[in-house]
Amino acid sequence: MSDVPAIIHWMQNSDIGTGIRESIWLFPIVETTHVLALALSVGILIWFDLRLMGWGMKHQPVSHVHKQIMPIAFVGFVIMFISGVLLFWSEAEKCYLSGFFRAKVLFLVLAGVNAGIFELATKKTIEDWDKYPIPPVKARMAGLISIISWAAVIIAGRATAYNLF
Amino acid sequence: MHYFLPFFRWCDSTWLGETIRSSRIYFPIIETFHLLALTILFGAVIVLNLRLCRIIMKGQPVQQVAQDLSPWALWSLVVILSSGIMLFLSEAMKCYASKPFQVKMVFLFSALIFHFTIHRKVTRTDREPGRLSGILVGTVNALLWLGVGLGGRGIGFL
Repeated sequence: MSDVPAIIHWMQNSDIGTGIRESIWLFPIVETTHVLALALSVGILIWFDLRLMGWGMKHQPVSHVHKQIMPIAFVGFVIMFISGVLLFWSEAEKCYLSGFFRAKVLFLVLAGVNAGIFELATKKTIEDWDKYPIPPVKARMAGLISIISWAAVIIAGRATAYNLF
Repeated sequence: MHYFLPFFRWCDSTWLGETIRSSRIYFPIIETFHLLALTILFGAVIVLNLRLCRIIMKGQPVQQVAQDLSPWALWSLVVILSSGIMLFLSEAMKCYASKPFQVKMVFLFSALIFHFTIHRKVTRTDREPGRLSGILVGTVNALLWLGVGLGGRGIGFL
């Protein structure tokens, strides 16, 4: 593990990194929290995405689903992000060198940008969508990109853990 | 437990189990499907149970929310169970010796029975469940599925 930036090397060998990596209980606990928070964040977000695409929860108004579901998904994201940073910290060198981890970060950024555009721009007319069973194309696209990028994040995350290929 | 030993041995020696074991990438790929599907199922379980506890979607009837979620939840359950059986076949002997696996199975069968009996009964009638029974059924259901998830993660670690 030679060709890594100084900060990655420092994280890997810091007290926090070494502590999590070498603890019998800490790593599994942080990892389990990460996976459970996944269900709380992505698991719930997917239902909003499905609603956006007009594939699920068709009886509920879009704006209603958004208002009810997103705060809970957000809590999940905070837990997932914190536990994810800790996992990265403990295996910084392995993650940095892993092609799958880089792909994961890329899809995370894609999911983030997609969500940002939706929340800041697309969402402005959300109240109008309630009148129709299926939202406009730009909203459906946001839902589709969200589902695809999150699925890719999960797949790449699993592949990082197994060090595949 | 030793009554089950021949069954676990047989599972371990099946063609499917041996095939999955023989490759380095089959197991992770099947496990990824397992994880993707359980994300959908857990999401549905959480949404429905939060509704039962009257935390979200208070304006929508429980029955309606349950009906909207159920086709996706059911299909994800099918994917979870079939991928889960494949994973099990490939390491049945490891599972036989694994305490977390036993815990997971107890939670799994309890969760399935509870889900398709009491939980279904409460979520599939026009009558809105009482505040207390809604909270009770929702919480028990969520905890049972949480136990399945924790036990499952434990198999990989312990």
